[in-house]
Amino acid sequence: MTPERQTDGGVVTQGRSAEGVGPLRRWAEKAIYAPGGLYRALFIVAMLFFLLTTLFPFYFLFVLAVAPTGGAVQLLPALDAMNLGVFLEVYQKVDFLRYMLNSLTLALVTTAFVLVISSLAGYVFGRLRFPGRQPLMLIILAVSYFPPAAFLVPLYQLFTGNVIAGVNLYNTAGALILPFSALFMPLSIFILTTFYRQIPDGLEDAARIEGTTRLGALFRVIVPLSAPGVATAGVLTFIAVYNEFFFSQLMNNGQPENWAPIVGGLLQLQRAGQFEVTYEVMAAGSIMAVIPVAILVVVAQEKIVSGLTSGALKE
Amino acid sequence: MSSSTLPDGGVQTALRRPISRALAWLENRTEAQYAYILLTPAIVVLTVIAFWPLLSTLRLSLFADSYGLAAIGEFVGLQNVVEIVSGQRNALLPAPFLPEVWTVKGLFGAALTVTLLFTVVSVAVETVLGFLQALVLDQDFRGRRLVRVAIILPWAIPIVVQGMIFYLMFQPNVGFLVGTADNPALLNRLGLLSTTPLAVAQDATMIVIVGDIWKTTAFMALLILAGLQSIDRGLFDVARVAGATAWQRFRYITLPLVLPVVLIAMLFRTIDAMRIYGLIETVAGCSTVPSLSCLVVTTFNNRMLGSAAAIAFVTAAIIAVVVSVYIIRFARGTQ
Repeated sequence: MTPERQTDGGVVTQGRSAEGVGPLRRWAEKAIYAPGGLYRALFIVAMLFFLLTTLFPFYFLFVLAVAPTGGAVQLLPALDAMNLGVFLEVYQKVDFLRYMLNSLTLALVTTAFVLVISSLAGYVFGRLRFPGRQPLMLIILAVSYFPPAAFLVPLYQLFTGNVIAGVNLYNTAGALILPFSALFMPLSIFILTTFYRQIPDGLEDAARIEGTTRLGALFRVIVPLSAPGVATAGVLTFIAVYNEFFFSQLMNNGQPENWAPIVGGLLQLQRAGQFEVTYEVMAAGSIMAVIPVAILVVVAQEKIVSGLTSGALKE
Repeated sequence: MSSSTLPDGGVQTALRRPISRALAWLENRTEAQYAYILLTPAIVVLTVIAFWPLLSTLRLSLFADSYGLAAIGEFVGLQNVVEIVSGQRNALLPAPFLPEVWTVKGLFGAALTVTLLFTVVSVAVETVLGFLQALVLDQDFRGRRLVRVAIILPWAIPIVVQGMIFYLMFQPNVGFLVGTADNPALLNRLGLLSTTPLAVAQDATMIVIVGDIWKTTAFMALLILAGLQSIDRGLFDVARVAGATAWQRFRYITLPLVLPVVLIAMLFRTIDAMRIYGLIETVAGCSTVPSLSCLVVTTFNNRMLGSAAAIAFVTAAIIAVVVSVYIIRFARGTQ
């Protein structure tokens, strides 16, 4: 008899002694199938701990936002004492709607731009044989190793018209979309390369025989068949752009009419000073900024998981 | 096309001819030529927005800072890099690169040491917690999807919101964690935090580390989970029949098989942690916690372009060194 068997036996007797007590018995029977009640208990404790630690900061943001002005923050606020007007107050302090729209527009346009360009590149790396394939791919992936700070000074000079006279992208959408694209394109190219590679050659050949051009075969056969891969790359790019901080802050002056995304809006709330803007308003603004990505996570969690793991682990 | 759109149809045929000619031309290229043509857009964007700036940063780092109207001063070669790395330029920079005195205060006040401290501590804790999260998510239980959403959620939120959360949570009397001098909270009484933690370099660095762990442990967890799920379950059955305890199964099957994935995840997190900027900027400000990327931005804001470029390049070089250490160790581990 092995030690393992003996522990199993112990659990069984425990289960029998608890006969008649419904939930306890069910727990014990489960413990037989997943041997080691101790491990089961540890697992539940760990799960609750992680749920608490990941979700508490969001809950804190909420109770802070709805705390009555000048009143103390309550861990369990009474329903009738909640100050929901704070969410409207955010819009009175800064043009928050405009910041949100800027963020969403920038993220959508960048995602579309990145998907088109990296579809072409992913097709080339995934399905074509040509000299220089491996080195080119490595050079493209190398971009993501550099910190954004290494691009800052020249890009700022370029966008303020100090490199090519007349090119003045600072304070426009272009000064954000271009750096975002360069920053996040390597990951998309990589994800799409792995997906496009898996489409059997026969399908592409069949389309070619039917009379489609090479480009037609790419966009009518390969891309639709790799829809999950395209969606994965799209979701990850969208989240990355929406969450970006470095260029979002430094490539505009923080004003909503100059395409500043929510980074600009929230920093403006924070730096107005707490006599102008209360902590409650800052918390309310933060909650609203989270809503779009929170929805995306709930809807597309499988895509996020598969994209992150395939993008990172196969490199 | 229907006959009602004749004018449009006319325009379309006029347009279609050059397009179809271009497509026919494309059709007749060799595979290699076709590959390079399709790669052109990606390469153009990356050249203008990534490769050119990198080379330009390298060039700028060879020029002195200008204190006049010109953007940069005279050519000085590697002097910028040498003076920054040796600490000689500390006094001229917004924050020192190397600690002037090797005390706790000095360590938390200098860009290089703050960044390394932040990276080592946050990546180490994230690895351990991420492993535990992965083990939890690897179980089969009801509500698994929901727990996974909860764990991913912090990873998916904007850095500025992450910063706001920890900025607000550590405001005296706002979060429950920090009180005032006459009404200290638990953490103050234990001597772990001062009553103005966001203005004290040491406390603020700890808060930034906690904030980073909260947000990015999920990334670690998902990667390690993928590693766990790729292990052949049959191995566990064999071990069980052979009488291995749960701990032995973990120690001799799970751990060695998942270790390469853990190392890759740590590599990615390290690269990312070394460029920390946004979280610091929102929680405490770059003057309190001067990380390397912070120092690039503050130097740039002071119009010291040569120094900013030199620090940016030193940062990239330090990351490259760390990456090669990982890769060498990884190569040794897989042999």
